[in-house]
Amino acid sequence: MSVAESTPVSSKIPHVPKNRATFLHTAWRVIAKKPGRMVGLVIILFFTLMAIAGPYLYPRNLPINPNAIYAPISWKYPLGTDFEGTSNLALIVTGARYVLFAAFMAALFTVVIGTVLGLVSGYYVGWSDSVIMRITDFILTIPGFPLLVVLSTVWNFGQPVAMGFVLGITGWGGLARAVRSQTLSLRERGFIEAARTLGLSPFHILFKEILPNIASYIAMNLLLAITGSIYAEVGLFFLGVVPFQANNWGVMLNLAVFSAGAMSSVQALPYLLSPLIALLVLTLGVVLFLDAVDELFNPRLKEA
Amino acid sequence: MALEFEARDFHPRGMQIRDLHVIYQTNQGEIPAVNGVSMAIAPGKITGIIGESGSGKSTLAMALMNAVPKPGRIVKGSVVVDGAGDMLTIDKKIRQKVRGRDIGFVFQASQNSLNPLIRVGKQVLDLGRSHNIKDLRALLRRAKELLERMGMDAERILLSYQHELSGGMRQRVGIMLALVLEAQVVILDEPTTALDMISQASVLEIVRQIHQERHLTTILISHDMGVVADLADNVVVMYGGELAEAGSTEEILAHPLHPYTQGLIRAIPRISGPLDQAIALSGSPPDVAALKVPGCLFASRCPKRLPKCENSRPIYEAIGSDRYVACFRGTEHD
Amino acid sequence: MIDVKNLVKVFTAKKGVLGHDAIEAVSHMSFSIPGGGALSLIGESGSGKTTVGRILAGLEVPTSGDIWIQRVNVMTLPPAERRTFLRQVQLIQQDPYQALNPARTIEQSLEDPLKVIARERGKNGAWIQSRVHEVLLRVGMDPGSVLNKYPHMLSGGQRQRIVIARALTVEPKVLVADEAVSMIDVSLRLGVLKLLKDLRQEFGISLFFITHDVASARYVGEDGQLFVIYKGQVVESGPTDEIISQPHHPYTQALLSAVPVLKGLEDPGPDRFIPLRGNDQEQVPDTACIYEPRCPFAQAKCQKERPVLQGAGHAYACHFPVVRRVVATMK
Ligand SMILES: Nc1ncnc2c1ncn2[C@@H]1O[C@H](COP(=O)(O)OP(=O)(O)O)[C@@H](O)[C@H]1O
Ligand SMILES: Nc1ncnc2c1ncn2[C@@H]1O[C@H](COP(=O)(O)OP(=O)(O)O)[C@@H](O)[C@H]1O
Ligand SMILES: [Mg+2]
Ligand SMILES: [Mg+2]
Repeated sequence: MSVAESTPVSSKIPHVPKNRATFLHTAWRVIAKKPGRMVGLVIILFFTLMAIAGPYLYPRNLPINPNAIYAPISWKYPLGTDFEGTSNLALIVTGARYVLFAAFMAALFTVVIGTVLGLVSGYYVGWSDSVIMRITDFILTIPGFPLLVVLSTVWNFGQPVAMGFVLGITGWGGLARAVRSQTLSLRERGFIEAARTLGLSPFHILFKEILPNIASYIAMNLLLAITGSIYAEVGLFFLGVVPFQANNWGVMLNLAVFSAGAMSSVQALPYLLSPLIALLVLTLGVVLFLDAVDELFNPRLKEA
Repeated sequence: MALEFEARDFHPRGMQIRDLHVIYQTNQGEIPAVNGVSMAIAPGKITGIIGESGSGKSTLAMALMNAVPKPGRIVKGSVVVDGAGDMLTIDKKIRQKVRGRDIGFVFQASQNSLNPLIRVGKQVLDLGRSHNIKDLRALLRRAKELLERMGMDAERILLSYQHELSGGMRQRVGIMLALVLEAQVVILDEPTTALDMISQASVLEIVRQIHQERHLTTILISHDMGVVADLADNVVVMYGGELAEAGSTEEILAHPLHPYTQGLIRAIPRISGPLDQAIALSGSPPDVAALKVPGCLFASRCPKRLPKCENSRPIYEAIGSDRYVACFRGTEHD
Repeated sequence: MIDVKNLVKVFTAKKGVLGHDAIEAVSHMSFSIPGGGALSLIGESGSGKTTVGRILAGLEVPTSGDIWIQRVNVMTLPPAERRTFLRQVQLIQQDPYQALNPARTIEQSLEDPLKVIARERGKNGAWIQSRVHEVLLRVGMDPGSVLNKYPHMLSGGQRQRIVIARALTVEPKVLVADEAVSMIDVSLRLGVLKLLKDLRQEFGISLFFITHDVASARYVGEDGQLFVIYKGQVVESGPTDEIISQPHHPYTQALLSAVPVLKGLEDPGPDRFIPLRGNDQEQVPDTACIYEPRCPFAQAKCQKERPVLQGAGHAYACHFPVVRRVVATMK
């Protein structure tokens, strides 16, 4: 062909070695680019590991020590101790699983429900859109936190999945609206119309054509939903409205403030501060990592 | 409008551009967007600048007003405007006066460059105020006259917001804004891209008429050889940030010397003559890496390349009166 | 091949609180394109060209009219069948920057339609791969260097080639090219036009070529038909070369006059006139010629009676048809 605008055709052999970099490979390059992202990743991995392995590091019933009640920070008790002389570090590490697992489940429910409903209602304008949006409006008007307070009177939140489910089921409204509006604008784009004329199925169009274009937005929402849910949970336990079934960070905060009087006594300060710092560090990690998410999922930013 | 006019002379102004270098600092390295451009813009003439997208036309145009946007930087060179001085060294205040008042400018994609929140009429007044025009009424009158000349309902346009106008209308409003301050040098960057043929022809006709009436010096930038060939008196061909060839329009079209120019002209489909004389230009414009090769930038696409074209870059030089070319085979005719 | 009879499309646009305003974007259009043939639709923007193209591609439902593709009446097919059937009509959109999914590689974009076909025909992955290579090579792209790229890494011309390659994956019988080259560099346009022209002959594809540039219509539409439309109505139609050499309607003459003249190579036609664009919004009464408000040659009759399209082969809708020599000639 004399008309080739492209690089000259080199070979006629219909085989090309796949040199598409694997996702992990690209991800690593993107994250390694900025030290902040690395720090964020390390923090997130650290807490994830803590949630998975934490409970195995300590005996089922944490040792108590009547001689070291509210002990100050030391080598033996790096974060001090609580009212029974149990190591705060051990409490944080073993409490992480409930908090993080529940938050992860909550975020997963939020994102899956919000994304699917948003995509469907944005793509099929018509009665399904109206129905879904009515439900969304209803969900948006439910005050999630008070609902949890009420639910907690009938339900015990001993299982993190239950907690995650309730947090998630009340939290997807905003995301669904946002995904819907992005879908609405994408469905008019040329490549979606092209997919329709090529006879591709609506399922393909929704999940393979539209979804990748809003993936970075959704991934960011997933991370933000995790931190949001952590705060909600910790808040609930802190207020003491849900029964204490397991030890976790919220319970620690609650006991520190209401039983140990950490607001007035310096002694119990490590007991109050250790869950707070754990929360802060985790949030910091998520925020630092968010920066990488956009680049990771946004193909425009990928280099040749 | 005569009032405002009287005080000003009708001497067309020219421009001398010497060894102009503009680079963009990007994370892929420095892009030499304009690389050693020297040319004289003849006073009272329409000079057409042509090149593929990415060849540096818009950057050159902005450099002429010393208005290259952020990651870009003018490294060296001079742009002397008759009666105003070197745009690259004169005082900032004077420079801002020169822009708009002496040099009118229509940005590329001017259909999107109007302020979306302000009515067109208000934008005309703002422009006048920023140039200390005292008689704003006369200014509005002139704006109306220009709009009517371009076949538009002037009253309605002045009261409209950008989104209420079609692409062709916005393009013409952009041209009105460039001319309303009676600038004597007018730079039009792709004034008809995205317009259909009929709108394009009418916009070009207006440019031609106003150019003649006001004895302007006009610089017309386009990627379309046809547009330039129809309107311009002189043509400058750009390739990869450098000049490839320049001369009078008739000369360039009838006897192009640079193989790139020859290819561009051959690639225009025509409405008369044999169909098969149109031949596509092969290859694609050079990318950032290709700009750094030691040889001729066009060598990889050139049907007439010589071994030395790969190793050394031909010099852009005069080969006749007002005729320039940068090609080792430039003086050969075929 | 494709046959269209009496195609009409009326859009209702909301007009304030008062109600609806009907715009007849396409008015009683009939044409047919044989396999391997071409029909160019030419007119300025807003004349209804895109609407016709989208109707043919099944993206818009006509208000009335019939469309036969390969002798099957598309309008009578049940919706589910119509979708698969209309795969034979592929649309090349104006904007190659919008036509490819920015989040997917070229390989993914080309594979998607092939996977569907492979499933229907019981083909395997190797078949898909070889088809991907085949179509890329056909449009003059090197598979090795583009398969793993994202659209933003390609130039406008390259993207438009990929869009054409993607259309070829479903083995279309009709290609609708809607101003397919107007957004790419002039220097690269001819290459894409040549590709479209070659596909007609090679695969017997009927090409429906939408443009506002007569010269490109002449190039791809060799031995084809040319339909000049203004405000949704055909004002002149006939063999492309005949219309260019003997334009009868003033609007056709305006379009031909608008083609830039290459100073030094061409002489402008002696009757060339520069058309000024009028006010688009203007409503023309049903009893007047639709072009009358802008026509430089209008006479009293043009305001009183709307001319109908008449003539066999070469037809025009004008009360006072006069051939004007507006086309530039080579020196
Ligand atoms: N803002 C910018 N940042 C980085 N590079 C730029 C920028 N603007 C233009 N360039 C680069 O400079 C070169 C010339 O661009 P431009 O002057 O816009 O060309 P043209 O107007 O001929 O299309 C191109 O390689 C382009 O990628
Ligand atoms: N979806 C739509 N709703 C209402 N009016 C439309 C729609 N699409 C096109 N039109 C109108 O139909 C006319 C023809 O438009 P179009 O087919 O896009 O013309 P062209 O492609 O020739 O520029 C225009 O007046 C346009 O405003
Ligand atoms: Mg430009
Ligand atoms: Mg259109």
